[in-house]
Amino acid sequence: MKELIEIWRFREVLFNLVRRNLKVRYKNSALGFLWSLLNPLMQIGVWWLVFKVIWEMPEKNYTAFLITGFLPWLFFSQCVLDSTACVTQDMPLVKKAYFPRAILPISSLLSNLVHLALAFVVAVVLFAIWRVNVNIHYWLVIPSTLLVATFAYGISAMLAAWSVLYADVKFIVGNLLGLWFFLTPVLYPIHRVLGKQPTEAENWLRQLINVFLPYIKTVYLLDPITIGILGYRSGLLRGGENPIIVSPAITPEMTPEQVAAVYAQAAEKQALLQAQYPIGHYIIGAAIVALATAIIGHLVFRRLSWTFAEKG
Amino acid sequence: MNPSVEPRAAHEASPEPVIEVQHLWKKYRRPHIKVTSLKEAFVAFVRGQTGYTEFWALEDISFSVQPGEAVGVIGPNGSGKSTLFAIIARVLRPTKGTVSVRGKVCPLLELGTGFHPELSGRDNVYLNASLLGLSHEETLARYHDIVAFAELEDVMEAPVKTYSTGMLVRLGFSVAVHMDPEVLLIDEVLSVGDEHFQHKSFDRLKQFKDEGKTVFVVSHDLFAVEKLCERSLWVQHGKLLMDGPTSEVIEAYREAVAQQEQSVGG
Repeated sequence: MKELIEIWRFREVLFNLVRRNLKVRYKNSALGFLWSLLNPLMQIGVWWLVFKVIWEMPEKNYTAFLITGFLPWLFFSQCVLDSTACVTQDMPLVKKAYFPRAILPISSLLSNLVHLALAFVVAVVLFAIWRVNVNIHYWLVIPSTLLVATFAYGISAMLAAWSVLYADVKFIVGNLLGLWFFLTPVLYPIHRVLGKQPTEAENWLRQLINVFLPYIKTVYLLDPITIGILGYRSGLLRGGENPIIVSPAITPEMTPEQVAAVYAQAAEKQALLQAQYPIGHYIIGAAIVALATAIIGHLVFRRLSWTFAEKG
Repeated sequence: MNPSVEPRAAHEASPEPVIEVQHLWKKYRRPHIKVTSLKEAFVAFVRGQTGYTEFWALEDISFSVQPGEAVGVIGPNGSGKSTLFAIIARVLRPTKGTVSVRGKVCPLLELGTGFHPELSGRDNVYLNASLLGLSHEETLARYHDIVAFAELEDVMEAPVKTYSTGMLVRLGFSVAVHMDPEVLLIDEVLSVGDEHFQHKSFDRLKQFKDEGKTVFVVSHDLFAVEKLCERSLWVQHGKLLMDGPTSEVIEAYREAVAQQEQSVGG
């Protein structure tokens, strides 16, 4: 509480740091913002090519599907990456002037939140052009973002402090994020993971996965980023419905009877999964995970922040 | 904090001290193997080389500074001066003892501190001023004075990466002295800038003192300390060796340095 008041007292610094981060990021121009979208848009284009065109992913509106998953992921990963530099880049300030140190990771989080908001506007414009339903259920984006932001703060604060002590944290973080990306449902629908059945154990790794499969699924669905992505998808693409959805895989050469059978099968599987994984419980679980991470991350940061200025 | 501390002598008690340092100790850890990455930390851990030596950077320092005083801290490199500075600036925490500072403290930030190379001079002034406790409106009201004092009217919109070192120093100094702090903390930045600006900044600091404000200077530039401060503290090996009129302290300090050089030379 005392800390919050102290941060509020220094809100002007926070505001100025956020402004600085954004100005530096966009090089002071609106074109700079559009430029910063180039890379993610290209990434989405490549995924679309690989998974929709080559792989023939049955997901409808796959591009919109990718964007809704990529927005929260990009926010999270950028927060975490920026956090590894947020204290070290302002070391001269840290060594000379007093201010609540938590302002540094918070400012990097807030700048990324602004960036997310701007990117979100661009996404909505795209959806409107594509006639993907733009509707009231978009509000789900707000709690989903809050969930991801809380989680991101905890991880960021922890990494910010460790980066001061160890210069190679940022490289390790970059690599781990690359792996983590595949553990979130940005590219593929969630039922691919939740509906996974134990397969024939051809090697020890498969055996291991088979043994731990139920736990893996639970942990997977408790990841605040996964829940955040599901929230975005539910709000933006599914009109607020349960985001655990099984898309029927239909091919043009199927007969009408086959199509009907595939639809029935998908609906059955979807109902089963939704009953098996009550989404409400997992939302609460993910919120607890996010909050606990934020608190632990903040405590680690606070403990170490007094040693920042001692670093040579 | 410490109830056993004796009440201050009556003749000293008249004005409340601005800075009061009581039995200040600061301990540092120096690891035997310097670890700067997780890889090194892992290797050091596996080899069992995680030992460190503890040493006191400051030992039982006590002094107080009255309003309107200009106090210099002198001593060789590694004597603990900068640690003392950092503790008074609330950047480091003391291991033992108490430090209390009354009123607004403003550290004069080193050249380029808080300045981002890509941002304009104007943005940097606002960032720096907010860090030193000014609101946007307060900075707005002083902005012209700050720029005029730094003599940088023509370049405030240019990114500071295009500034020379002298320009950065001038801007940093100008921001700090326009904050109206009760205590101005200065760390080794007195002797920078050209002749003209040095004179100007000294005049400004003198004016500052005359207004009843406190200047606390940490420097190994004896001339600067002599010119500005009537009282000095000599810190060496973390101990407060002498506290008195600047001329006497500097004389003793010079003697000690000369003696040391002699003994090394002989």
